[in-house]
Amino acid sequence: MPEDDALIAELRALEPWLDTGEPADRRAAVRARLVARPARIRHRKRWIAAAVAALAGAVIAVSPARAAVVDAVDGVLRIVGIEVRAGGPGELPPRPDPLPSRGPVTLAQARAAAQFPVVVPAALGVPDRVELADPDAGGAPRVVTMTFRGGAVRFDQFDGSVSPAFLKSSGEARWTEVGGSTAIWLPGPHAVTYVDRAGQERTATGRLAAPTLIWSTGTVTYRLEGIATLAGATAVAGDLK
Amino acid sequence: MSRLNRVGELDDATAAGRARDGDLDAYEVLVARWTAPAHRFAVLLGAGVDADDVVQEAFVKAYRQLGRYRGESGFRPWLFSTVANETRNLHRSRKRRDGLALRAAAREEAEPLSPDPADLTLAVERRRQLVDQVRLLDFREREVLVCRYFLDLSEAETAEALDIPKGTVKSRTSRALARLRDRLGEVAGA
Repeated sequence: MPEDDALIAELRALEPWLDTGEPADRRAAVRARLVARPARIRHRKRWIAAAVAALAGAVIAVSPARAAVVDAVDGVLRIVGIEVRAGGPGELPPRPDPLPSRGPVTLAQARAAAQFPVVVPAALGVPDRVELADPDAGGAPRVVTMTFRGGAVRFDQFDGSVSPAFLKSSGEARWTEVGGSTAIWLPGPHAVTYVDRAGQERTATGRLAAPTLIWSTGTVTYRLEGIATLAGATAVAGDLK
Repeated sequence: MSRLNRVGELDDATAAGRARDGDLDAYEVLVARWTAPAHRFAVLLGAGVDADDVVQEAFVKAYRQLGRYRGESGFRPWLFSTVANETRNLHRSRKRRDGLALRAAAREEAEPLSPDPADLTLAVERRRQLVDQVRLLDFREREVLVCRYFLDLSEAETAEALDIPKGTVKSRTSRALARLRDRLGEVAGA
């Protein structure tokens, strides 16, 4: 009927005006439910077992001397400056406590301010945004964060001589290699906590991190987040300019 | 939600196949990809503030029923049928349906090509009337309109999402349109 057509056209035109709000990220919650009672019993061997009751309560600071130690025995994977603890991604805190950032700067400003060589993954092109975080008394940042591809990919690099800086709680993690150095691949979402210079823990973002590759050159540690596959992330990590 | 929409390069059928074999990472690709559409669907069906819970429950249930997923008509209508079911359960349990909300901007934003302010007011007013009348529809009638015209599902996809025969989609749609038209006529004439 023609009057139906007119009404249908109105309904279609109405659709963009309907406000349905922002959906919550329930990946972690869904996964937790599925792990608790899988549809099929096909457990892949995992290096983790224990569930972490509360993220903030579960992380333990590691002394710098131990930070580079590879230790899967107690369910903790470490790379200079980053510690990955066993357990599910856990609940996000009600109030995210962001990284103490000083706001966006140019790449040149970041290179001038940081006391470590600031690099850019060649494959990702020019960063959308560069941020400095956690400056020391002289203003030198401990962390330089870049985002690419409209924010979908995030690249952190930081002074790894102060450890730990990032604590992660993940249901799944595995060792891999980047340029001959040990690296950690976290394929699933995980909570990230940043420990600032004063030792205060900050659950760095109000979200769960996407797949992340972590590696280090010994003094500088890198984390690359948002590349979906290990092969893709390793390729990006292999070419820093 | 840009992050949610970007992760993963697996197509739905491959991801669902792997998930059926117990690959939770593959399933997470589907969760990431379909959370926003599923959430919008749930809100349009009247789930309101419970939409996130509905979506979460739908993903959990859909995973447990993956053994039955054949993938002929895609993951979306299949997931949506679970979302629709969960929303109906919600209505049963709380005896209340949340309405639709118009974007706040709808009341201020000028429309392009609207030379006369009276036309603009009419457009805004008309949108409000439409929303009001859609939310007053019977739930089953609202469902088909949401699927067909807000989400642009085909009759076949709507049938699968709502778990009703295609003939019912057709008859219910024309009944819903007729009722909507009548009520809008009453409002306009009042």
